[in-house]
Amino acid sequence: MLQIKDIRFGYKEPVLKGLSFEVRPGELLSVLGPNGSGKSSLLKIIVGILKPAGGSVLLDGRDLTAMARREAARLIGYVAQESAVRFPLTAMEFILQGRFAQGRLVGFESEDDMREAAWAMEKTGTIEFASRPINELSGGERQRVMLARALASRPALLVLDEPVANLDISHQVKMLDLVKSLTSEGELSAIVVTHELNLAAEFSTRVLMIKDGEALACGAPREALTEERLRALFDADLLVDVNPASGAPRITVLSTSAGAGGRASQSK
Amino acid sequence: MAINQTNRASIDGGEAGANREPARADFVSLEALRMAGLRARLTPGRLVLTLAVLLAVLLIAAAFAIAIGSEHISLSALVKILISETTGRAFDVVPEQKTIIWDIRFPRVLMGIIVGAGLSVAGTAYQALLRNPLADPYILGVSTGAAVGALSATVFAESIPVSRPVAAFIGAVLTIAIVYILGQSRQGGSSERLILAGVITNAFLSSVVIFLVTAVADSRLRSVFSWLIGDLSGEPGLLAVVAGLILAGIVIIYLNARSLNLLMVGEQEALALGVEVRRVKIVVYVAASLITGAAVAVSGVIGFVGLIIPHAVRLVGGSDNRLVVPASALVGGSFLLFADTVARTVIAPRELHIGVITALIGAPIFVYLLRRTS
Repeated sequence: MLQIKDIRFGYKEPVLKGLSFEVRPGELLSVLGPNGSGKSSLLKIIVGILKPAGGSVLLDGRDLTAMARREAARLIGYVAQESAVRFPLTAMEFILQGRFAQGRLVGFESEDDMREAAWAMEKTGTIEFASRPINELSGGERQRVMLARALASRPALLVLDEPVANLDISHQVKMLDLVKSLTSEGELSAIVVTHELNLAAEFSTRVLMIKDGEALACGAPREALTEERLRALFDADLLVDVNPASGAPRITVLSTSAGAGGRASQSK
Repeated sequence: MAINQTNRASIDGGEAGANREPARADFVSLEALRMAGLRARLTPGRLVLTLAVLLAVLLIAAAFAIAIGSEHISLSALVKILISETTGRAFDVVPEQKTIIWDIRFPRVLMGIIVGAGLSVAGTAYQALLRNPLADPYILGVSTGAAVGALSATVFAESIPVSRPVAAFIGAVLTIAIVYILGQSRQGGSSERLILAGVITNAFLSSVVIFLVTAVADSRLRSVFSWLIGDLSGEPGLLAVVAGLILAGIVIIYLNARSLNLLMVGEQEALALGVEVRRVKIVVYVAASLITGAAVAVSGVIGFVGLIIPHAVRLVGGSDNRLVVPASALVGGSFLLFADTVARTVIAPRELHIGVITALIGAPIFVYLLRRTS
């Protein structure tokens, strides 16, 4: 459904050097890579915040980069890394922003908007704090509200930039469970940037590994996440074995400092 | 539901949309939302009710502002004069009172309403665009920039009609552009940095203002100085032009209220949600500068109105700009009438400048807000 072909992007230095991959219907694709590898730029290009220097972004065959903002916004839901709101908006006002692209530019939300927002809030369990100001919510609650806003436009593709970075382990799992269940219901596809390797291994249909603006590998977690590739990707010492509960790859990062145990210290 | 489905099909146009069903939030959650919705979001009913109450407050404030003064006029006399003037029916009105009301206080009250409404809406717009609840035409230096423009017109192009509002507008636009650029860092604009940029620009422009004032002929120094501090009594001849410009600016900003709601949260997110960010930003910046320029051209630099009023409105009515923009206009009008009445009466028969009153009220509130937001 989403096809990325030969995407190029850069400021002074090239950030993305001809990246190609696709997101298939109903799948959850995780994007992995070290800081500065171009992950966030990639997401922003898909969402339409950044314009690529070359290549194409096609959603069901239609060029997203050439589309009017409102039209593209109806197809793609974006959950940004962090929303710093300095005005006391209520959670519901925030979620209804997701209906901007469907509604009139001037005027009020329609019955349809309310129905879709109610659906998104039901899915994310955010109805109970609909009338609370967003800046008074906890990190986990706010993340769910942001997800609800992205869902409210009923997008075909959900784009999430580090959705679990500021959450505790229980909220991380709940969040990804939710995204996973939405994709497996066939409602939508999702592309997630994350640094949580084990969660990515557990929840993803496929993973895309980016290093220096190029795809290192793209495939099912069990095939793509090998010890060799991950070491090359992150330039870190780590072990990969099998999660006994799920059978997914399990990544253990080893310390490189002397005396902390692990293989790094032994090799000295 | 049927409407929704056809919409969806036409939006998606492809296979992906064909098998996706419309949302089916169950009845219970939709009802729960409706109950919560009364407080959780702005409804058309709440908007109309709020604006009706605020309009009533404004009319009462206007009546008092006309009645109170060195020549006290009873409300019944006021009503009689208004009726006799508008319908042409003869009443036993005192001619001197009629002159005071019709020729002096009435234009001044209209000026107060229009300038107060304008400055408050301009403040609302700058706050939303800059994602900063501390923004205000005065604090950002835009008012002083407009004053430089208006003064330049007075000094260099006095013979050209309406040169002052036009020059003030140009001054305002240039100033906000400079402050915006100075306030950006590589990580984007931070709140404190922006305020600092405004303060520096303001300091610089203030020296330009003083330079221009010294160039003004001695005979006019007093009136120019009086205008500069903020004064609603000057130039009733410009009232119609200024009212037109300010109303146009307010309407333009109101038409973008929904987009501003999204911009208030973040530019990148607004872009992702479908806002044509560049277009909205340019249109609203120009409209807010138009308002500021027009207001400064007739009434000088009246500070802090654009800061206090939107903040008070949000505190009571929430952050939705579809409410904050028109409500700020009405509350701002009432507030400036109140401030002007105080200015006219506290040390009567002499008059205080209205800019002094708004600064005395506004500066402490600014400090309070600064401490709370950072």
